[in-house]
Amino acid sequence: MLKLFRWWWGILLAFLLLAVLRVFLPLPFSNEIIIFSIYTMGCSFLLGRVGFISFGQPAYLATGAYATAFYLFYFGTNPYIGILIGILAGLLISLIVGPLFVRLRSDYFALVNLALAVIIFYMMQKVLAGITKGDNGLWFLTNIASTPVLDLTKPNHFYIFAFLVALAIWAFYKYLNDTLFGACCLASKINEDKVKFLGYSNFKIRLTAFVIANTTTALAGSMYAVYLGFVSPEMTSAHRAADPVVVTILGGVGTLYGPIVGAIAYTGMKDLISGLIGNWELFIGFLLVFIMLAGEKGIWGSLEPLLKKAFFRKSAFKPER
Amino acid sequence: MMDTQLLISGVIFGLSIGSIFFLMAIGLSLCFGLMRIISLDQLLYYSIGAYITYSISLVTGSMWLGALAGMVVAGIISFGVERFIFLRIYERDIAFTMITSFGILIGGVGVIKFFWGVVPRPVPIPMITQISIMGTEIPVYRLIVIAISLLVYLGIWLFLNRTIIGKAIRAGIEDVEHVEGLGINVYRLFTITFIIAGTLSGLAGGLYAPLIMVDPQMGLEVMPFIFMVVIIGGLGSIKGTLISAFLVGQVVSIGSLIYAPLAQMAPFAIMLLILLIKPTGLYGSKLLKR
Repeated sequence: MLKLFRWWWGILLAFLLLAVLRVFLPLPFSNEIIIFSIYTMGCSFLLGRVGFISFGQPAYLATGAYATAFYLFYFGTNPYIGILIGILAGLLISLIVGPLFVRLRSDYFALVNLALAVIIFYMMQKVLAGITKGDNGLWFLTNIASTPVLDLTKPNHFYIFAFLVALAIWAFYKYLNDTLFGACCLASKINEDKVKFLGYSNFKIRLTAFVIANTTTALAGSMYAVYLGFVSPEMTSAHRAADPVVVTILGGVGTLYGPIVGAIAYTGMKDLISGLIGNWELFIGFLLVFIMLAGEKGIWGSLEPLLKKAFFRKSAFKPER
Repeated sequence: MMDTQLLISGVIFGLSIGSIFFLMAIGLSLCFGLMRIISLDQLLYYSIGAYITYSISLVTGSMWLGALAGMVVAGIISFGVERFIFLRIYERDIAFTMITSFGILIGGVGVIKFFWGVVPRPVPIPMITQISIMGTEIPVYRLIVIAISLLVYLGIWLFLNRTIIGKAIRAGIEDVEHVEGLGINVYRLFTITFIIAGTLSGLAGGLYAPLIMVDPQMGLEVMPFIFMVVIIGGLGSIKGTLISAFLVGQVVSIGSLIYAPLAQMAPFAIMLLILLIKPTGLYGSKLLKR
């Protein structure tokens, strides 16, 4: 019982704080933070656990979003089924491109992902313009039907839904980090020859990690689609390709709560600074350089040891694997 | 089928875009080859070159003077960035330099917005004369751009093959540690290479400015294409960069004559294909360790 509590308390505390934050912050901001942190989680897992830096996360985001949008625009009205379809589309595309991509080295991996994002961008903007309506995007807010228990058309109900999804995802990733698979991922990042020597297949480990991470990203995309009620190719443009990487670094690479902290800090700064002088790039850019030069641990990565010291001063503290 | 006139102007258009891509990609390629960094901030020097060209040509009325000033300013800024930031992080992982240089790029875009605002600016074309090739009117300016890029290629080739510093740089691309073992100060080589890269990016921005509108996001817009040129050509190879730059330029230009929506996408499909068949790019050296 105590063990179970100890496993859960970190996640529960983090989400309790997030729920408290909800009282002080406006609703759209909270929704944005939660979806953004889910979006970043996949990238953080890839970068921190498997050592793949990806500048093409928008590709998977857009896949999920457009799959949901197609369903809601042309076929049905139930948002839950739409999200499910988005997840399936993400799973499908990562299963198709995964075997090709994970063979490549880390720096090439970043670039082929970027290429995929650009290809999807032009497909949505020009080639498939007949069904995607090109730059105008698909508007389907009125198509979404009200559902009995959690009505996703209402922002505050959507918040509860997103909150629960995020909680489930964090529990899942915490579980994943504790399993043998999580250890294998880390091992394959640090020394792939030794992983091979121990009898594990690097390719299978990386492919599984890639599929899991990008399915999470697609889920974030379909949640964006349902929340905003519209999708446009802008979502996958190369300008935004580095957003998740920046947030990952900002929060702290490979840490469990880094994506939440990073998403709050990034979205907050963007809103705050663009409200003041309309020049947020300057601050984000120099903050990024500063964080990298200061030791690349990010906000949560620097806070975590301090917090642990404060709370676990007596007990023998085991570092997170 | 398409007529010859359209084809010729398409080819010239493609070659001039390819020249710009080449001038920018050569910096990225050299930086990767020698220092093992992915220097996204080259795109910043490109924007700075274009903006300086705009300002100087507005004041003096001469675009050539502007491009020259853009080159010099881009070179000076790249020197400063190298001294203050890159010198501390050469030893780090490649992803690390990529993210840091992305931070510099974003911060620099912010600085540009602060000085020049977000409105796109036009730069006048220095010469509007056209000459006729096989009955097709070709703007002379585009031919000059192509000629300049070929001259730069020749100059870089001579520099790398005929001077001691150039030979040291080429040796460093194969194996930095051995060069260091010979008693050559590799950090000075790094600085020289970085300044060359920044200057050429500035030149690319200056030359391209009259053909497009200058806006703060212009660096980010060409980013995917530059990457693609470098990857297709093979990181660290000058000849490969030249060939792939002209290839990509032609694909973009001729492709848009055949079927416009595919033109921007086709190069990426080609890149995916080449990477999957030959992961080192067309002329990438197999000796590169990382």
